[in-house]
Amino acid sequence: MECPACKGVMVVAEFQKIELDHCTRCLGVWFDAGELELLAERLARDGAVLTMDEIMALPAEEVVEKARRCPICGEKMLKVGLGSQPRVLVDVCPRRDGIWFDHGELSQVIAQTRTTQPAGATEAKPTRMIRFLGEAFEAEG
Amino acid sequence: MWEQIRSNQIRSIVLVAMIAGLLLLLGYVLGAAFLGSGIGGLAIALVIWAILNLVAYFQGDSILLSMSRARKISRDDNPRLYNVVEEMKIASGLEKMPDIYIIDDPALNAFATGRDPNRASVAITSGLLQKLNRDELQGVIAHEISHIKNRDVLLMSLCSILLGTIVILAWYASRIMIYGGMRGGRRGGRGGGGGQVVIIVVAIVLMIIAPILAQLIYFAISRRREYLADASGALYTRYPEGLASALEKIAASTAQLKSANKATAPMYIINPFRSEGRAASDWTSTHPPISERIRILRSMAGGASLTDYDKSYQQFHRSGKGVIPASALGVVSVMAVTPEPEALAGEADKIERARETSDMLWKFSEHRLVNCECGTKLRVPPEFKSDTIQCPHCGRTNPVPPRHK
Ligand SMILES: [Zn+2]
Ligand SMILES: [Zn+2]
Repeated sequence: MECPACKGVMVVAEFQKIELDHCTRCLGVWFDAGELELLAERLARDGAVLTMDEIMALPAEEVVEKARRCPICGEKMLKVGLGSQPRVLVDVCPRRDGIWFDHGELSQVIAQTRTTQPAGATEAKPTRMIRFLGEAFEAEG
Repeated sequence: MWEQIRSNQIRSIVLVAMIAGLLLLLGYVLGAAFLGSGIGGLAIALVIWAILNLVAYFQGDSILLSMSRARKISRDDNPRLYNVVEEMKIASGLEKMPDIYIIDDPALNAFATGRDPNRASVAITSGLLQKLNRDELQGVIAHEISHIKNRDVLLMSLCSILLGTIVILAWYASRIMIYGGMRGGRRGGRGGGGGQVVIIVVAIVLMIIAPILAQLIYFAISRRREYLADASGALYTRYPEGLASALEKIAASTAQLKSANKATAPMYIINPFRSEGRAASDWTSTHPPISERIRILRSMAGGASLTDYDKSYQQFHRSGKGVIPASALGVVSVMAVTPEPEALAGEADKIERARETSDMLWKFSEHRLVNCECGTKLRVPPEFKSDTIQCPHCGRTNPVPPRHK
């Protein structure tokens, strides 16, 4: 697989039995839909996580940022906002092949959820999944 | 079983003969109308048919498999799949073990190829292998093996070649008529005008009707074979629920098979081009509606014989006619098995299955494995040139093993 952002070589990292593709050059992360499903099933036991269906239900945004092509099907990916203030725009394949996070986007979402969530509050939906991704890519940020 | 196959074979031969007859008639009439020679038209039809046959013969399975980017596996590559195929081979009484192929595709599908039961292959997508538990996998493999056992593949390719020839003939004749004028008609002169007009009218009607008619016969044959393969699948596994639940998972998946095309579509366990919410009355489909197939399997009422399947089928169609040839029915009563709870407990869980499948695919695509001390596994593709790699989890720098040629 080729990096959708910089065409660099993608390496697969298997962390806690979940596979993530990451670019060795730009450090972006590709999260395959199948792996997202596995993770969602595992995390579902302790509460809500973001599934592909929920991500696809979020409104796609029109932005100047250049559209990336899905590394699996080649279709132009949609920009979808996760989190809040400011929203982090991730790329989602319209055919639901997976999600692309640019380098830094993960840590941005994680940082946001840390500051905006008062202790003891129920976590926002994307958080558990994002937190897993954040754990998997400790080196980032 | 032999009775069943034979009676099916006779029915199929009659239907194939009907398509063949249609082709010959079309060739003759078109020849008479446009070339002034019925025999000439017949000859052209036969030449086109022979060419398509040669193409199909030489391309055959290997093209289908390579078009699907399928990869042959051995027992060591995936013992779980290999064992299931072996069990179903024995249950079906097939003499030779079919070759097993994996298609690296997240879509859920499977197909069987092979002109005769001794040189057959079963192919399954990596997505399906990952998603199905052992009972479901058995159901799907049993369905595919029964296509091999019933010689469906040869028959379907025979039909599709005949159909293809009819479509090509009708298409070119319509082009000639629109752009080239009717030379045959002019040559006939003013003398015998009346007879010529009748032939041209017949030719035009046939040009329109023959492809539609041939297609309908083709669909009828292929749909019936899907039901029969489901019935045999239930019989071989003695567990209709396995296939039913596999079909349910397949139906729920939204991923479309990337490598399928129109020519290979009828080969798959479900139509790779199905659109969501396809109407149950869609008679132009090569596959019966998946929801109906599931319902028939689920209402087999504790039995697993062909008779049980046929009864269940009739409940849904209320036509009083079954799908299983009469000669095969009423032979044996087979009770469906209920899986032991122990068997379910020993089941590799979903994540294990996913890792088992992807490990196999990584090995095929020559990824090198780097085990970082932190427990993260890195799979490095052949294109990666550096001899060290940084672990994205802990930041350690790990050496990458050299590529072995
Ligand atoms: Zn990159
Ligand atoms: Zn590490």
